[in-house]
This record gives sequence, C-alpha cells and structure tokens, in this order.
Amino acid sequence: MSHDRLISELSSHLTPVRRRNMAREAAWLVGLGALQLAVFLGSGLMRPDMGDAAGHPFMWWKLGGLALLVATSVLTAVRSFSPVASPRRGLVFLVIAAGLMAMLGAIVSPGGVVAPTLAGRLAPVHGLICAASIAVLALPMLGMLAYLMRKGASVHAESSALAVGMAGGSWGAFVFAFCCPVNDPLYILAWYSLGCAAVVLPARFILPKYAAL
Amino acid sequence: MVAAQDGNGGAYKRLLADLAVWLHRYFSRRLPRAEVDDAVQEALLAVHRSRHTYDPRYPLLVWVSAIAKRKWVDQLRALEHRSADELTDTVATPDHEAAVIGASVLTSLLGELRPAQSQVIQLVKLEGYSLEEASSRTGQSIAAVKVNIHRGIARLRALIMGNTDVA
Repeated sequence: MSHDRLISELSSHLTPVRRRNMAREAAWLVGLGALQLAVFLGSGLMRPDMGDAAGHPFMWWKLGGLALLVATSVLTAVRSFSPVASPRRGLVFLVIAAGLMAMLGAIVSPGGVVAPTLAGRLAPVHGLICAASIAVLALPMLGMLAYLMRKGASVHAESSALAVGMAGGSWGAFVFAFCCPVNDPLYILAWYSLGCAAVVLPARFILPKYAAL
Repeated sequence: MVAAQDGNGGAYKRLLADLAVWLHRYFSRRLPRAEVDDAVQEALLAVHRSRHTYDPRYPLLVWVSAIAKRKWVDQLRALEHRSADELTDTVATPDHEAAVIGASVLTSLLGELRPAQSQVIQLVKLEGYSLEEASSRTGQSIAAVKVNIHRGIARLRALIMGNTDVA
C-alpha cells in the first residue's frame, strides 16, 4: 500500500478523540485503591491488634515504606504511558527506595517476640501464603494499570511494564500489610519481596506484548 | 494535531503527509533502503493509534520522534530476527548467450556496409540519435543520412536473406 493511500484511509472518517489526561487516570487508580482497601478492611480482615501496632515504629516502617513504593511506582507507570516520558528515572528512584526500606528494616525494632532460628523467623508455609495473598490482592490495581497502559502509548514498553508490575505488587503488599500479623522485618522483606516478584515478572514479560505501540 | 484530535480529517491528512516526508528522511538515515517504506507506514499507524496521547503543551516533533524511535528499534529487532538468504554457487542467472551472439552478428553485418551507411545506422537506429544529430556528427546532410540509412538497411536485409547462418 502506498503512503498516500494509507494516509487517505487514516484521515477519512476521522472521529474526535478524548485527549489523554494523567490526572484523570490517577484519580481512577486512587478511587479503585480506596474501594479495594475499604472492601478489604470492611470484611473484617484487619489484624485485631492494629490499634496497638499502629503506634509502633515497625508498623510505620512497613506501611510507610510500602506506601512510598506504591506512590512512586504508580506515578512512574502512569507517566510512562505517554510517548514523551521515560520511566527510567522513576525506576531508579524505586530501586533506591526499596534499598532504603530494606536497610531501615535491619535497624527497626520488631516490637514483639521474634523466633530464635532462621527457619522460625521465615516461617515458610505461612510466608508462601503471604506471598500468594499479595499476588491476588495486586490483581485489581494490576488490571487497571494494564488497561491504562494499553490505552496509552508507551514507547518504553518493557520499562513501563516493570513499573506497572511494581505498582501492582507493592499495592498488594500494602493492602496485605493491614492483616499480616507478623512483625519480623526479615519475614516482611523475604515474603513480601517474593509476592511482589510474583507480580512483577509476569507483568514484565506479558504486558509489552499486550500493550505494543 | 489538535485539529485532528477534534476530528478534522483535512488537517489530519495534511499533517500525515508532512509527517510521512519527515519520517522517510528519519528512517532513510537509519535503516536499509528496503525497510524504509515499511517503517514509515508502521510509524504513521502508531501516530494514528496514539493520537489521543499528544499533549499540545509539548512540541509535536518531540512526540513524533519518540514514536519514530520506538518504531526504528522495532524494525531493527525484526531485521535481526529475519533469516538471511544464503548465496550458493548455483544461483540461477539469465542466459546472455543470445544477446551476445546477436551483438556479434550485427557488428559483422555492419562491417559489410559502406562506412557512411554503417555509421548513421549505428547512430540513429542503435544509439537513438535524431537525424539532425547524426547529420552534425557525421558531416552528412540530413537527406544523405536518410538515404544511407535506407540503403544500408536494404543491404543488411539482403545480406541476411542470403546467409542462412545468420537467421
């Protein structure tokens, strides 16, 4: 097909399009997140000692760190759906934030009884359930971000997919943190990271094909 | 582009035509010649599909070049994965034998004519010069050129008819 013919076909029957608006997309995501959190907490899944735990530095570390990861990754992902924005800087910031969170985890007091052995601290069976729960809780946010990525025009599809996966995974971990009764930073770092990775890796390899420009 | 986002097909057509020229130049510098047209059309389609993501606060060319760069990378990846045809020793080529023999026979036949005749037949009938140009090149009058061509061809015909090997 010649260029002229293609141009004629594209320009004939042209319909108006609604211009992409980042603030509107962010509002949808905030609305979805608020709804999911409300349903989750309204179902009585919040840990029973949340009142006490909320005053402890460990809980601030856990929720604050995850909230920072969620905010950074969502912002990075949504910005990257435009062809003129690169997600590289946001991804670098995400890695730094995750590293800082891990380092702070090493010094923050668990605020409770910690098992004496490594196997006891990691509690693999419970940990795997945690990781699986995080992956499931990530699905609504992941789905919405995947939809927005497909609607957008990311020219860095692989990096955008990483940011989307990270946003979904960290959101799932954030929601799960409200019900997770474990206070050991080692457990949090190991199993929450696995839960996030279970979301990030498929997103990284599937989404670029699904949302090709 | 803003008009195109509002559904103005005429403005969009002009924009795409301009972009096609720009994209052709862009890809010509970065891709093998055979890939350029495909890349231009892929980029035009991508521009069309993502026209709602153009933000008028940014220059259009920044937006287009980001899309073009992505399409360039895609095209390079496709090229990398495309298998190349191997050249073998038995590649078929057209047979030039008939043309070579024909040229040789014609040269020998022209050698049978008077130089004035073979010269103007060579110029006018084989090399495509006009009668005037042949006249000025050979110093013959136009009438003499015409006569020499006519007589030369008649002589060639007679030579061919009398020599069955030529046919």
